[in-house]
Amino acid sequence: MNKNMCNISENVEENTEEAEMANRIFRVESDEELRPLSDVENPVLWMNENADLDDDLSFPNISNFFHRVDSSQILYETKKRRLKMIGKYVMGDLLGEGSYGKVKEMLDSENLCRRAVKILKRRKLRRIPNGEQNVESLQGMLESTSEKKFPLLQAHGYFTQLIDGLEYLHSKRIIHKDIKPGNLLLTLEGDLKISDLGVAETIDLFAKDDTCVQGQGSPAFQPPEIANGVESFPGFKVDVWSSGVTLYNITTGKYPFEGDNIYRLFESIGKGEFAVPSEIEEPLRSLLLGMLEKDPYSRFSLQQIRQHAWFMRKPPKTSKEVPIPPLQGDSLHRMTVLPYLEEHYYDFTNMEDDCSTHYITEKELNDQKKESAEHNNGKALVRQNSKRKWKKISCLTMRSFPGCKQS
Amino acid sequence: MTNFEEDISVYNFVSILGECFQNKASVNLVKHYPTGRMLAVKRFHLDKIWDNISIVQQEITLTKQLQHPNIITYYTSFVHGPEVFAVSPLQAFGSCKSLLDSHFNEGLPELAIILIFKDIIEAVNYLHKSGFIHRAIRASHILISASGKASLSGLHYACPLVINGRWQRAVHSFPLSTQPNLNWLSPELLEQNLKGYNEKSDIYSLGILCCELANGREPFADVDSTLMLVEKVRGCIPGLLDCTTLPSKCDDRECQGDCDIEISLSRRGFSQYLHEFCYMCLEREAKDRPSAAELLTHPVFTLVNKGISLPELLKPVLPLSDKVSPNKEMCHLDHVLHMSEMDMPSCDWDFPIS
Repeated sequence: MNKNMCNISENVEENTEEAEMANRIFRVESDEELRPLSDVENPVLWMNENADLDDDLSFPNISNFFHRVDSSQILYETKKRRLKMIGKYVMGDLLGEGSYGKVKEMLDSENLCRRAVKILKRRKLRRIPNGEQNVESLQGMLESTSEKKFPLLQAHGYFTQLIDGLEYLHSKRIIHKDIKPGNLLLTLEGDLKISDLGVAETIDLFAKDDTCVQGQGSPAFQPPEIANGVESFPGFKVDVWSSGVTLYNITTGKYPFEGDNIYRLFESIGKGEFAVPSEIEEPLRSLLLGMLEKDPYSRFSLQQIRQHAWFMRKPPKTSKEVPIPPLQGDSLHRMTVLPYLEEHYYDFTNMEDDCSTHYITEKELNDQKKESAEHNNGKALVRQNSKRKWKKISCLTMRSFPGCKQS
Repeated sequence: MTNFEEDISVYNFVSILGECFQNKASVNLVKHYPTGRMLAVKRFHLDKIWDNISIVQQEITLTKQLQHPNIITYYTSFVHGPEVFAVSPLQAFGSCKSLLDSHFNEGLPELAIILIFKDIIEAVNYLHKSGFIHRAIRASHILISASGKASLSGLHYACPLVINGRWQRAVHSFPLSTQPNLNWLSPELLEQNLKGYNEKSDIYSLGILCCELANGREPFADVDSTLMLVEKVRGCIPGLLDCTTLPSKCDDRECQGDCDIEISLSRRGFSQYLHEFCYMCLEREAKDRPSAAELLTHPVFTLVNKGISLPELLKPVLPLSDKVSPNKEMCHLDHVLHMSEMDMPSCDWDFPIS
């Protein structure tokens, strides 16, 4: 039974949203914060070891065998948010997880600058390709839209930045090899940043050209030469191909090559035959065809892309820009460190209405999950934000804190 | 207008007035040989600020682009050896911060604050209309001339509102160089979320500046920066310390000892207008704060009569005289650097003791 309970808690961890209780928000996300209580009121009925097994099985009422526990009877204890400092950094919430480890938010306590930290686990460093989930990438934005694509103007803005970044990388003899929307991050200002150089390769300073022998990265973005297993191929053109797939993906919402499994996919890529949807008009169409050219040597170079008509001219504004989607229900992407700091600086335990509920039942948790799922579907996000307003409590005396008056 | 040469040999370095740029650059009192005028020269040693050179460059170009009586002007700037020099008119009363530290530990008189604010808000209004957010409005960036005119400096923290030819509704940048200004920054700037901030962030800083000039120190001065952040985000509004905001004397007896300063503070009273003015600037939501142009029409400015001048109100502080005789020994630059540690706070040695 104990094991069973653990399973429940794991399920809960996977897709819990914020559980909100009396003005406080608890994020239920890891076993550190949520532990099933061992002393549930109705103790579990264990099978009597001495009893005859056959007898037990013939019992008509199965409830004597599997004791039914109502979801309102499973209790979780919410653990206090503990402020965790690593060096000068205050730790915040989880932003994403990948094959390497986790990405968490941090706050530099000296200059109050928000940061993200990638926490690598030594035993996870044996990399599993394509396991990366995305923190705040184009992928996340694409998934937040119904059509899984951007308006042309927005796509153009990201694509030109991508080519700028790639040109820089190539000038430093670096082949990224894993260009895809999931590895393109956005800053608050809307600047695109190429990330994850996990499989990147640096060409030797004395190498004759950009010849590579190894292909890594995400299968759907691999060029035909890698899919076909060619012994060596020009490396920079790999990035051109993946950028082409990326451009195809963000403008059409589809992938040029698809397959039920990696073999089918590589077979399809290897043939190099694909169709550009009819709604894609001329300058963009020829750019896509040039970047997704099967033969790496006749594939566009970055210079050719730069001089292409679609690259040089901004497409007209057709529809509204896709906004940055909310992060864990917060459309403003607020600091996740703040609640920890609040807990640290103010003693909430004295408050009557606050935090008195230290226990939360499975049923409540499910209800909250349901509610927040509904929130995420609709425009209810705004409401959630307004609810998240901080409660104003003065916790500082005048003596220790001159010049601070509570409004 | 006199032409100020881009040549070090026409300037005679008299003494160091103070330090700026996180103590990595110095402000020098300098005599201009051809005219005999006293000037202030900012001196950046590029080896000390190699990672911030672009900021210095930005400050100099921006200061030269702007033309407003209440924004500091640079007559000229030039490079000599490893150093950059920026020549500006002498601000004889120094910065408001130095006034607070040397003579007005418990804050400036109310009328002085209002006079300074009138000038500074004009400057901020001009800056906002030109499409810049100052982002570092604080007492140490406000300089007062011998005639009592206040001018705004510290433009190396400014950021443009116009990006790629477009007037931005909000900006998001959070440069690490703003670290010394954290206590003056608005909650929305510190929050660094998708909402961003705009020129109203400067209005918040004006509110903090008001507290700083009135109380002698800025709010949150002794507090962890993380606690300051949480307090601001939760909507804590600092205020002016006087008889209306501080507990009365009876209460003070209970907490004697560390309340020595507060007794004198709790006797004084600022006008209701100034309280209101400060409170308006410190609204938690940027949209609720008035713009710089709106602030100029605030009734607080009706409190000053035409006859009152700032130098009058700042007595017994006297401005640095134009007639400082250059001390021959101090001419050696190395010497000046050594001496700087000794006469750092201000040039008190020049004042006749009455």
